[in-house]
Amino acid sequence: MRKLAWLTAAALMAALLIPGLALAEDKEIKIGVIYPLTGGAAAEGRELRAGAELAQEIANAAMADIDMAMAKNAGVKALGGAKITLIFKDHQGNPQLGADLAKKLIEDDKVVGILGCYHSSVTKTVAAVCERFGVPMINDSSTSPALTKAGFKWFWRTTPHDDQFTKDLFEFLKGLTEGKAKGVPAVPMADVNTLAAACEKTEWGTNVSDTIKRYAGDYKFNLASNLLYAAKSPDLSAEVQSLIAAKPGAMLFASYTSDAILMMKTLQSMKAAPKILWGQDAGFEAPEFVGTLGDASVGVLTRTVFTPQVAQVKKVSGQVNSLYQKKVGHDLSGASARAFTGLQAWVYVLEKAASTKPEDIQKACNSITIPGEELVVPWNGIKFATQGEDIGQNVLGMGMIGQYQKKGDKITLEIAYPFDLATTNLVYPFPGF
Amino acid sequence: METLFAELAKSLVSGIIMGMVFALVALGLTVIFGVMDVVNFAHGEFLMIGMYTTLLTSPLLGVDPLVTLPLAGLVGAVLGIMCYYGLVRFLLRGPMVAQLLGTFGLMLTLRNLALLFLGSEPQIVHKGLLVGKSFVFGPGIVLESTKLAAALLSIVSFALVWWLVRRTKLGMALTATSLDAEGARYMGISTERMNATAWAIGGASVSIAGGLLVNFWPVDPNVGLLFTMIAFATVALGGFGSIRGAFYAGVIIGLIVYFPPAWDALSNFGGLDWPAIHSFKYTFVYLIYFLIMVFRPQGLFGWKQ
Repeated sequence: MRKLAWLTAAALMAALLIPGLALAEDKEIKIGVIYPLTGGAAAEGRELRAGAELAQEIANAAMADIDMAMAKNAGVKALGGAKITLIFKDHQGNPQLGADLAKKLIEDDKVVGILGCYHSSVTKTVAAVCERFGVPMINDSSTSPALTKAGFKWFWRTTPHDDQFTKDLFEFLKGLTEGKAKGVPAVPMADVNTLAAACEKTEWGTNVSDTIKRYAGDYKFNLASNLLYAAKSPDLSAEVQSLIAAKPGAMLFASYTSDAILMMKTLQSMKAAPKILWGQDAGFEAPEFVGTLGDASVGVLTRTVFTPQVAQVKKVSGQVNSLYQKKVGHDLSGASARAFTGLQAWVYVLEKAASTKPEDIQKACNSITIPGEELVVPWNGIKFATQGEDIGQNVLGMGMIGQYQKKGDKITLEIAYPFDLATTNLVYPFPGF
Repeated sequence: METLFAELAKSLVSGIIMGMVFALVALGLTVIFGVMDVVNFAHGEFLMIGMYTTLLTSPLLGVDPLVTLPLAGLVGAVLGIMCYYGLVRFLLRGPMVAQLLGTFGLMLTLRNLALLFLGSEPQIVHKGLLVGKSFVFGPGIVLESTKLAAALLSIVSFALVWWLVRRTKLGMALTATSLDAEGARYMGISTERMNATAWAIGGASVSIAGGLLVNFWPVDPNVGLLFTMIAFATVALGGFGSIRGAFYAGVIIGLIVYFPPAWDALSNFGGLDWPAIHSFKYTFVYLIYFLIMVFRPQGLFGWKQ
């Protein structure tokens, strides 16, 4: 009788455990997301997080009114409807902390993969950790070209990088002198030939600085001043003084949020008057930029990957943008759109791999093609290079240059480049402060 | 040639103005050290608290940030007295190490309390009488009103403290305590009261400096570190306990920090391509600190006045 009782109990337990095991395995798919949620780029961090969360919400639910493959089913269909769970970690802009968080996510939380990290300096260390552990990482938002030149086998990047973006800038400047800019007659080369650049000095800024130097040489511009500064600097008046002294036609910046705002305020207080003021995205695209500077931001150009104008030409962008507005209260920006796209890429890769095993995910990443119509960003699609110099880089991405303009009382980011996508006349020269 | 002079003049003016701000920050440190030989590691945190006081009370009370300066001073003075009676008084009984570690612990506590209650994002005053306005004179030398006001306040504060210490009875009592605490006690001067007064003056002066600083310098819980380091370098260069020394040393340090644009101007003038040294401006400050400690530890104006 005792023996029977034991056997029944054992059978019962086994019966209860087995489905439990099966459920535990594919009930949720954990992805580690490492962003700068506090610190000088916290504003961008919030946008990134909201973008990724929105993509997660769309992936996990079936939404008939969004024209995206991942909105058609709840969860990842190829994995039995398993839901995506995001585990957010805050790297605070610190590369060492980012690497430690990645290790914890891999070893303790046992994530299937990593998404992140915005700061190129942090992406660099996190990618090295992922490479060591053989865990796939998709980089949605870091643009230092060096990141895909390391030949890593577990690193893929959806966003175009600074080489492409800086080339866009010089094509823009060249086009400006040729009369291609909308609403502006050809500008004499002498007016914009002298350049002054100030870039923050971590992995990202130093690489931007180098690409600016290289393209300035190729396009025959005179880079009179090219300085690096600490993004966390509370005072940039010495740097601004040097920039103004170079008497540049165009001032170029690579800054995160708090330093972009500080740079602009210092330029304003020292009465700088360049003809062109351009930022390499990041801080220049953060909502705080316009929010804090107000009218002082009018006329500023920035590299961008997404503006709300795209929502008017691409249906799916408009649909997702409305959801984002409901969620956060303002439009998608370059950061949130790319974070959204990064997580979207993860979902599509998991669908293609039909498994959470690293090797299957790796194979899926190397062979996947996501068509441009599926994306909110105006790219031709997502396809990762498997040979050549930039292994893991999305070759179908595209950059734009936007300009802040005031329409009524609102300041919006209008598209200035590519010239054929320009939504309005360019404001030239920079109206000053 | 004119551009070179203009650029050098700009660096000179910026350096002197900011230097006076650094001097004001260092004033409190030198007063406290002068009276009681205590090195206050938490000095920068008093500055940070002064900055936050102005930042937060100005919109709360609906007044211009300038109006909140006395309030910042009061908060600093009260905090100084509280720190003295609550902590430093006990540290004085122990060895020098206890004092160093004690104020170091105070620094960490204040910093993390601020982090807990006020968040880590850098904030700055956006609206105010002086914010965003500047004067232009001479060959394009731009002086921001906020920095100019801070520099003027610095001169006023130094004059006030110097007058207080040299010409008033309280000041003489403070000086007596700093020269010989025991002797002063026999004369009826309460050492405890003098120490607390020193902390009150030190806390108030640096908090008022913070109140003006926040008009052009973003505040976050860690802002104190940079200023503590600069204050140390300033006080070391000027001489621990020397009020006059703190002023001149502050100006020198300001000139060092604003040297890079002059360097660039010289480089352009000579047609040379010297690398930009902006990233190293604080390195030079700490280098001076190091050299002073090695070659002339008593600073420019000796130990105590």
